[in-house]
Amino acid sequence: MKIEGEYTFDGPREDVWKLVRDPEVLATCLPGTQSLHLVGENEYEGEVNVHIGPIAGVFSGRLLVSNEVPPESCTLTGEGKGKPGFVNGTGNVQLFEQGDNKTLMKYAGEVQIGGRLASVGQRMIDTVSKSMIRQGLGTLNDAIKARAVARAEAKEVEYTPPSETEFAAAVTKDLAGGLFSSKRFVWLALAVIAVILLVTIWLVVR
Amino acid sequence: MQNLFDLAVTVNGSRYEHAVEPRTLLSDFLRHDLGLTGTHVGCEHGVCGACTVLLDGQPVRSCLMFAVQTHEHEVTTIEGLGTIDNLSPIQETFQEAHGVQCGFCTPGILTTVKSFLEQNPDPSEDEIREAISGNLCRCTGYQHIVDAVKLAAEKMKA
Amino acid sequence: MIMTKKFIGKRIVRNEDPQLLTGQALFVDDVEIPGMLHAAFLRSDYAHARLLSIDVSAARQRPGVVAVFTAEDMGDDWQPGPPLVSPPPTAKDVIFYSRRQVPLVKDKVRHAGEAIAVVIAESRYIAEDAVEDILIELEPLEAVVDLEKGLEAGSPLVHDDLESNLAAHLFQKKGDYEEARSKADLVIKRRIIIDRGAASAMENRGIVAHWEAKSQHLTIWDTTQAPIPIRNGTAARLGLSEHQVRVIAPFIGGGFGPKMMMFYAEEMVIPWVSKKLNRPIKWIEDRRENFYATTQERGQIHDVEIALSSDGHILGLKDVFLHDTGAYDPYGLTIPLNTQCHTMGGYDVKNFTTEVSVVFTNKTLVTPVRGAGRPQGIFIIERLLDIASKELGIDLVEIRKRNLIPPDAFPYEHKIIDQAFAPLILDSGNYWPVMEKALEMIGYEEFVKDEQPRLRKEGKYVGIGFAPFIESTGVGPYEGARVTVEASGKISVATGIGTQGQGHFTAFAQIVAEQVGVAVKDVRIVTGDTTEFHWGTGTFASRGAVVAGNAIHAASSIVRKKILELASKVLETPIDELELDDGLVRVVDIPHKTISLGELALLANPLRGAVEPGTEPGLEATAYFGPNYGATAFGTHAMILEVDPETMMIKIKRYVTVEDCGTVLNPLILEGQIHGGVSMGIGNAYYEQLHFDENGQLLNASFADYLIPSATEIPRIEVGHVETRSSLNELGTKGVGEAGTIPVPALFAQAIENALYNQELEILEMPLSPNRLFELLNK
Repeated sequence: MKIEGEYTFDGPREDVWKLVRDPEVLATCLPGTQSLHLVGENEYEGEVNVHIGPIAGVFSGRLLVSNEVPPESCTLTGEGKGKPGFVNGTGNVQLFEQGDNKTLMKYAGEVQIGGRLASVGQRMIDTVSKSMIRQGLGTLNDAIKARAVARAEAKEVEYTPPSETEFAAAVTKDLAGGLFSSKRFVWLALAVIAVILLVTIWLVVR
Repeated sequence: MQNLFDLAVTVNGSRYEHAVEPRTLLSDFLRHDLGLTGTHVGCEHGVCGACTVLLDGQPVRSCLMFAVQTHEHEVTTIEGLGTIDNLSPIQETFQEAHGVQCGFCTPGILTTVKSFLEQNPDPSEDEIREAISGNLCRCTGYQHIVDAVKLAAEKMKA
Repeated sequence: MIMTKKFIGKRIVRNEDPQLLTGQALFVDDVEIPGMLHAAFLRSDYAHARLLSIDVSAARQRPGVVAVFTAEDMGDDWQPGPPLVSPPPTAKDVIFYSRRQVPLVKDKVRHAGEAIAVVIAESRYIAEDAVEDILIELEPLEAVVDLEKGLEAGSPLVHDDLESNLAAHLFQKKGDYEEARSKADLVIKRRIIIDRGAASAMENRGIVAHWEAKSQHLTIWDTTQAPIPIRNGTAARLGLSEHQVRVIAPFIGGGFGPKMMMFYAEEMVIPWVSKKLNRPIKWIEDRRENFYATTQERGQIHDVEIALSSDGHILGLKDVFLHDTGAYDPYGLTIPLNTQCHTMGGYDVKNFTTEVSVVFTNKTLVTPVRGAGRPQGIFIIERLLDIASKELGIDLVEIRKRNLIPPDAFPYEHKIIDQAFAPLILDSGNYWPVMEKALEMIGYEEFVKDEQPRLRKEGKYVGIGFAPFIESTGVGPYEGARVTVEASGKISVATGIGTQGQGHFTAFAQIVAEQVGVAVKDVRIVTGDTTEFHWGTGTFASRGAVVAGNAIHAASSIVRKKILELASKVLETPIDELELDDGLVRVVDIPHKTISLGELALLANPLRGAVEPGTEPGLEATAYFGPNYGATAFGTHAMILEVDPETMMIKIKRYVTVEDCGTVLNPLILEGQIHGGVSMGIGNAYYEQLHFDENGQLLNASFADYLIPSATEIPRIEVGHVETRSSLNELGTKGVGEAGTIPVPALFAQAIENALYNQELEILEMPLSPNRLFELLNK
């Protein structure tokens, strides 16, 4: 199952890349993240609480970052397992300067899902995950904008990440609004999306 | 052991007081705690309708409810519709019109139909089909069920 | 002159209904035994994986958990299931690799949902909680999902000890197709693809096993269509005598085939657990498990060829096909043999070659589901004739008429081997009148000539279709029954087959009542209890009424004879002056000279006096019936439907069936079977399809996504009859249980093409759906 998309951030590429490297920021972009730690060079382990329709549960995930070309691109390979099933995937992320203080992010990858997630949740995965990515990247964008404002006014960053409830509400609103009408069948694995999302911006080049 | 809830519910006219786990489904409570096995479980996700019972006269999916939600309410199951020696008109016509084959979906259909005919005592065929569209039957193809409901409506009018 | 009332053929309401209508019928999940424990299975999320490790220690420690078992815990008792059907011994050149399902996965998972471990706990809730405590490590492997790719060199192997995923290969031929082809005016070649569906009975599977060490006895309640083989096999597996095991198939909420599959993993595990723990154990499947762990059917890919003369006569037929058997093949070649035997339909085809390769895949097991390979065969021949009709410019009806087997050609020998290992012989039939009647009932000619053009002018897309078909039914090996007159004057009957709602309690009672002269409601039938009767196979392949019914008829006839002989002595009247009626033996013309059956039964089983040597006490008889070969029924369905050109949703305006299944036992029950079969056929054709992804994951394992038709999708079905008695049994009956499903996919294809007349559309696949139809039209 393929996943791909784009998002435009309101900030320069270096900012985007940096924030991606900031675990605290990232963790707030996707509420539900319970833990995240570096376990090896470019390798992360973490747990995310996932909710798609009737499927809920904790996914234990592991992510590997490779092919890094900061601040341009990288490859992410991840796998997540939990009571709701399993998810494996690989994706590429690219960041492009757009001028006018904007950065275009492009992501594309392949994901495989199984278990209850696949057999009961698949109808919703497409829409929900697209929405969650949108919300997540939007939140990150807010963080980027907040930092830019703080820098400009030489103040502390004023930034409140959304709560888990607000996040879920926003996703539900998207669903109800019938935001997406996919013409092709695109399967999205939520956990990998979540993890990819986290890490995309997280990028450790440490 | 989870905290138990002291449930008090009236089922088919009899009051029951049982301590139940909050997560016990109504269908499991009726079938295994009360021994009223007439209500059947077909899917546990609210689509097939075999588990339909009446809660204060309205059809509900007992597989999607917790027993504790019926606290101080009235539940009617198929056992409350009639007995072998005293079938209700709906049960009689289901036999006359051969609306039963394996009988698994039947309790859910009968409770649904009972409530339906109370609200619409003179239904058309299309209205009947619409009313039972939430009850899946794999055996009958629905036709004799529809015939039975029509017959029941006529019987109950007379 | 002996006269009895005629019960056979009457619309008699069912004996079993009052229990079912009041919730007083026992289904397996209704069984409650003090001290009973509950089972839940840990199942694989992966379709193909190596089991690296499993750690059940946390699960064992959860409060309320009594035991957790893995394959290792079963030790030497871990055995795959027995082969249920071997390949036909009389077929030549058969390749067959028998691989059967296992109780619990030992080293490799072969399909998503395969059982890996079982938790036994005080409640199902606790058991399911504990399943999630189990830690397993599975190494995912590439899954075999596509049939053609599965046979390519280098494909991953479902069974590592085999060289490929080829499970079986069978070549059959009749006549000489190549020769026929060389003489043909037209040869049509097509690839036809049919995909899987599920039976989805409303009741999921379940089993309660109760081993009692003190009496050394095992009682099993099982949602099976085959209690006797389950008893025999379970006794063997557990090292018990068959008489230590009792299997009861109580009321079953629909079977449709998958409950005829025997020795499912759970059927092998639960009785073993009960014996190990000396406790009653219950396992009830939930709906999601049913989608993974209960068998499915229909996946095939056909490359077919038909050779015709310019006047539409079929000169020959050739079919090379792949059949998906899933991860294991316990059921042998049954389904592909059925397909092979139905690809010629009811037509006079003298040259036919058919070659099947059965392929293992990492998907749920495939065993017969109502229709059992027959719908695929009929779909093929009817599609080919539709295409031929177009290319040769011969009317759709006419081209069938020219090819139907004429009535004087019966019994018609097709010579290839069928699923009962006998050469395929169509016993009797009168096909054209059946087809003609269906066309008349639906008003075919008038519709095509007048109504359809008018509707088309109004911009409506309304189509008409028809599909003739044969159905092989009533196969052996045999069934048996015991009929007894009791002191009360009532009759009790026991037979080995089980019941899933077909009205056995009534139809069989009618057969007995006919012979013995009692009211139908005074005949008590016991089915599916191995203590009551332990010889027989089961309810499948549209054979219950034919085979068990005839055994019951034979036993009743013997009892009738005993009644008359004894009454003749007691009443001092010759037999031919007696009649049986209303539970009495009467002397014709002397109304007060009677004796009741109950009194006779007492006299036949006296407390004093002697029973003559060479005779048996009581008025009882046991008889068996095994047909030489199965009876073939014939029918035709016709339908008018409207297609919405934007949504591709359909509305069936009229649906007609005409069935010739020989003597009809109970028209009310027969209609019910046909309605139900058609309803399933409509699901098969347009709403239901199991979607597996490239990793063998089932993507629609719930009723929210697997669409069973509801009352608003199924139309009124008009049922017509023709009766051509079967010569194969005394009652003259043929089976009809699966008839409703068999022609429906072919019917839909023709009707939809007919509705969308101005589109380029050739339907070569089943199932369809609104989505798929849209795709096909927009290619």
